[in-house]
Amino acid sequence: MTRRDELIRVLGDQGAERIAQRAKKRENAREARRKARADLAEWRLWLVAGCFALGYATLAGQMALTAVAEPEEPALEVAGGPPLAERAPIVDREGRLLAANLPTWAIYAHPEVAARAGIDAAEAAQLLASALPGVGEETLRARFAPGRKFVWIKRPASPAEKQAVHDLGLPGVEFGRRETRIYPAGRIAAHVLGGATVGAEGVDHAELVGLAGVERRLDDALRDPARAGEPFRISLDLAAQTAMTEVLEAAMRDFKAIAASAVLMDARNGEVIAMVSLPDFDPNARPDTRDPVVAKTRPMMNRAAEGVFELGSTFKTFAAAQAMELGLYGPETMIDTTGPLRVGRFRISDFHKMPPQMSLRDVIVESSNVGTARVAIAIGAERQKAFLDSLGLLSPTPVEIAEARLGQPLYPANWSQLSTMTISYGHGLAATQLHLAAAYATLLNGGLKVKPTLIPGAPAPTEADRVISAQTSRHLREMLRAVVAEEKGTANLAEVPGYEVGGKTGTAEKPSAGGYDGGRNITTFAGAFPMSDPRYVIVVTLDEASTFKYGRTWRTAGWTAAPTAGLAVRRIAPVLGIRPAPAPLDPADAAGAAARARF
Amino acid sequence: MSLALRPARKGERLGLWARVLRLNWALLLLVAAIAAVGFLMLFSVAGGSLEPWARPQMLRFAVGFAGLLIVAMIDIRFWKAVSPLVYAGALALVAAVEFVGVTGMGAQRWIALGPIRLQPSEVMKVALVLALAAYYAWLPPEKVSRPFWLLPPLILILTPMALVLMQPDLGTAILLAAGGAGVMFLAGVSLWYFAAGAAGAAGLVSLVFASRGTEWQLLKDYQFRRIETFLDPSQDPLGAGYHITQSTIALGSGGFSGRGFMEGTQSRLNFLPEKHTDFIFTTLAEEFGFIGAGSLLALYALVLVFGFASMASNRDRFGSLLTGGLTLTFFLYFAVNVGMVVGLMPVVGVPLPLVSYGGSAMLVLLFAFGLIQSAHIHRRS
Repeated sequence: MTRRDELIRVLGDQGAERIAQRAKKRENAREARRKARADLAEWRLWLVAGCFALGYATLAGQMALTAVAEPEEPALEVAGGPPLAERAPIVDREGRLLAANLPTWAIYAHPEVAARAGIDAAEAAQLLASALPGVGEETLRARFAPGRKFVWIKRPASPAEKQAVHDLGLPGVEFGRRETRIYPAGRIAAHVLGGATVGAEGVDHAELVGLAGVERRLDDALRDPARAGEPFRISLDLAAQTAMTEVLEAAMRDFKAIAASAVLMDARNGEVIAMVSLPDFDPNARPDTRDPVVAKTRPMMNRAAEGVFELGSTFKTFAAAQAMELGLYGPETMIDTTGPLRVGRFRISDFHKMPPQMSLRDVIVESSNVGTARVAIAIGAERQKAFLDSLGLLSPTPVEIAEARLGQPLYPANWSQLSTMTISYGHGLAATQLHLAAAYATLLNGGLKVKPTLIPGAPAPTEADRVISAQTSRHLREMLRAVVAEEKGTANLAEVPGYEVGGKTGTAEKPSAGGYDGGRNITTFAGAFPMSDPRYVIVVTLDEASTFKYGRTWRTAGWTAAPTAGLAVRRIAPVLGIRPAPAPLDPADAAGAAARARF
Repeated sequence: MSLALRPARKGERLGLWARVLRLNWALLLLVAAIAAVGFLMLFSVAGGSLEPWARPQMLRFAVGFAGLLIVAMIDIRFWKAVSPLVYAGALALVAAVEFVGVTGMGAQRWIALGPIRLQPSEVMKVALVLALAAYYAWLPPEKVSRPFWLLPPLILILTPMALVLMQPDLGTAILLAAGGAGVMFLAGVSLWYFAAGAAGAAGLVSLVFASRGTEWQLLKDYQFRRIETFLDPSQDPLGAGYHITQSTIALGSGGFSGRGFMEGTQSRLNFLPEKHTDFIFTTLAEEFGFIGAGSLLALYALVLVFGFASMASNRDRFGSLLTGGLTLTFFLYFAVNVGMVVGLMPVVGVPLPLVSYGGSAMLVLLFAFGLIQSAHIHRRS
C-alpha cells in the first residue's frame, strides 16, 4: 500500500487531493527555485565571461597600440633623479666669470652584470684602462674583483672620457651626471672664492658644497633654487685683483718676502675691490695640507681676512684721529717727543732721533712712537678702547668669507696704561688687514663708518654711522697725504704722480718666543687715493721683506710696503678708471713734487 | 564512443580507463602548448641555451604534468573531503614563511622544503578556491546571501590575505581577494555585498594613500613608488619606471610581426629586468610581435573557454565552483601579468602562468588543472 493510498483511506479522496496538490505545488516551487538558481548561475557566468572579454579587449588593444607605436627612446633629459638646483656661477662686479659649473660624469660599474654578460675582470679592466688614461689597469682589475656589486671607475670624468667609455659598449658600465666647480681665473681670487667640493653623492647625482671663502659662507644663497642658476655677483674687480696679484708677486720676489697680502676697498661703502693673499693656490686643484711644504707655507690661509697681525705704526692714525676728535690736540699742537719713555721695565723709543717737540702732524709724518704714546696717555685706556671698537677693530669683520670669522682681533684682556701706549703705535693689538682697511676707509671718507663687504651695491653709510667729524677727517687726509708727499714722510716711496696717494707705514717686529724678533718684520702700508676725495683704500702687507740699498739692509715699511703700494696704485688706478690729477692741488704737494724731483 | 564519454551518474564509480577517456583533452593540450611556448622563450632569453632556465623548467613541467594526471584520476569527492585539510596546510605554510622563510628580492616569500623552494602564497591561491567551493557546496543555496553565512568565507579569504600582506606581497594579496570574491560571486552571493565590498576596497585604497608618510604607513615606500610610476612611468625612467619603460620599448620594438626568434635586442642585451620571470611576455612580444603575443593570449582565452564550458556543463556544485574559481584564478594571473607588462597595471610581481620560469607557480598551476580535470571527469549532468 502506498503512502497515497493510505492517505486516501484516512482523509478521503478530497483531502488526499488537496495534499497531493500541495505536494505538487511544493515540487513546482522547488523546481522553479532550482531553475532560478541555474539561471542565476548561468547569468553570472555570462557576466564573468563578459568581464573577461572586456579585460581581453583592453590587453589586446594596449598591446596593439604599443606594437604599432614608433619605438622611442625614453626621455633621458629627466634622468638622474629629481632635478638639482644648480649652483649659481659667481661673477665679478663687471660680470666676468669667477666660478662656474662644468658638466662632468661619474663612471661606475656593476661587475656582476659584466660577468654575466661574459666580460671577465681582466678584459673589462683592459678595455676601460685603454679608454681612460690615468686610470691604472691593475687598479681596475682589483676593483672588478668577483663578488663586488658596485665599483666607481672614474669621477669626475670629462664628457670626452665618458664618450670613450660609452663607445666601449661594456655591459654593466653606467654613467651618472655630475657637475664640477671650475674657477676659470685659477689662482686669481682663490682665497676670496674659497672652493667647492662634492658633498652628498649618489649614483646619478652629487651636490656641490662650498668648502671655504665665499663659496662656503654664501653656500645657501648660491644653492638657492630660486636663483635658477643666475650668476651671483661679488664686488671684486677681476682686473684689479689680477693687477694686485702681479704687483705682490713682484714685491715678494724683490723684497725676498715669505708672504704678501693686500686689500683694495671702496672707501665710500666698504666694498672689497681686490683681496690678495700670497702664497696662494689653485682652487681647481686644492693642495694637500699633509704635504710638508704646504703645511709650512700655508697657501690656503687668507692672510688678508683671516690672519691677525700687529700692524705697527699704521695704528698711530687712530690716536691722532681720536685726539683731534676729542679736541685734545689740533694738527699743529706741539707734543713732547723726548725719549725714551719709561713705563715700569718697559722703554718706548723711536727708530731715529727726533726733535724734542713736534706737532701732532709731524708725529704722524715722521712716525714718532714716543709722541704717539704721549697722545695715548692723554686719551686714556677707556676712550681708546671704545674708539677702536667703534672702528670695528675689536671683533671679526663681517665680510662674506667663511674664514673671516676666524679673524678675531687679539688684544689684552687687561687694557692697562702700558697697553694703551703700545696699542697706539700698533703693538699689543693684532687685527687683520681687512680691519685696517675698513677703519682707514671710515676715517678718511669723511668720518662715516663702513663695513667690509663682498656684495656689491652696499648702501653708503649715513650720518647715523658717523665716527669722527668731517673736519677731523680732513685733517687726517692732509696728514696722511704729507706722510707720502713730504720728503721726511716715512711713506714717500708710495708716491704716484697725479694720484694724491696718502697713507701711513707700519713696521711690526714679528713675535718670537718671549718677545720680538728685530730681524723679521711685518711691514704694512695703509692709505687711500686720491687724498682730496678718497675713492679707494689700499692696505699692503709684506712678511719678512727686506731690501739692500745705499749700503745697508732695510726692513721697514717705508722701504718695502710703501713702494709696493705705490706700484699697486700706479697699476690699478687706471684700471678702475681714475685719471691722474694734472697738477698739485695743495701746497703740501709742492713739497712732494720737490721730493719726487730728486728720486 | 558517446557512451564511453557520458558523464558519470550520481554515485557511480568509474574505472581507470573510463576516467582517462573522460579527461578534458582540449584543456590538457592547451596547458601543454602554453608551457611549450614558455620553454621556447626561456631557451631564447638564455641566448639559445637550455641552461640555465629551459631544462629545469621542462623537468618541472614533466613532474608537474604527471602530478596533474594523478590528481585528475582521483575522485573529486576525495578532493572535496580533503579541502579543509589542504586549506589548513596551506595556511600553516603561509604562516610559517613569517618565521622560517627565505627573503628574496626584498620580500619574504619562500620556504625551503628539502630541495624544493616553495612559495606558500601560490599554494594558498588554489587551497582558498578549494575551501570556498567546498563551503558553498555544503551550504544550502538559500543561505548563501545571509550575513551570518558570509562570515566563514570572509574569514577564509582575509586570514591568508593578511599573512601574505605581512610578507609583504601586495600582488598576491590582491589576487587572493579577487579569486575568493570570484568564487563567492559564482556561488550566488547577493550583488549588494560585492557593491559594498568594492566601495570598502576603494575606501581602503584611499586610506592607504592617506597613510603615506605618517607613522601608520600601510605600504612599503617601494610599493607606493611603483603605483606612482605606474601612473606616470616617464617620471623616473631609470629608477622605478625602468621595468615598464624597458618592457614597453621591447613591446614596441617587436612591432606587428616581431624581430624573429632569438633576435630580441631588449631582452638579449640585458636591458630588460626579470626577463625570464615576470617580464617573459615582453620577450615573446619582441621576438614574435603582436601576432605571437596575441596567439599566446588566444591560447589563454581558449583555456578560459574550456574551463567555463566545463563549469557550465557540471551539475555538481563543488566541481562546478572549483572549476570556475580555478579558471578565474588562472585568468587573474595572466591578466595581471600582461596588464603589468603592457603598462596597464602596477608592477606587482605576478608570473605569467605556465610560461614564467619558476617552480612553485608551475607546480601549483598544474595541480589546479589536475583538480579541474578531476572535476570534469567526475562531473554530473
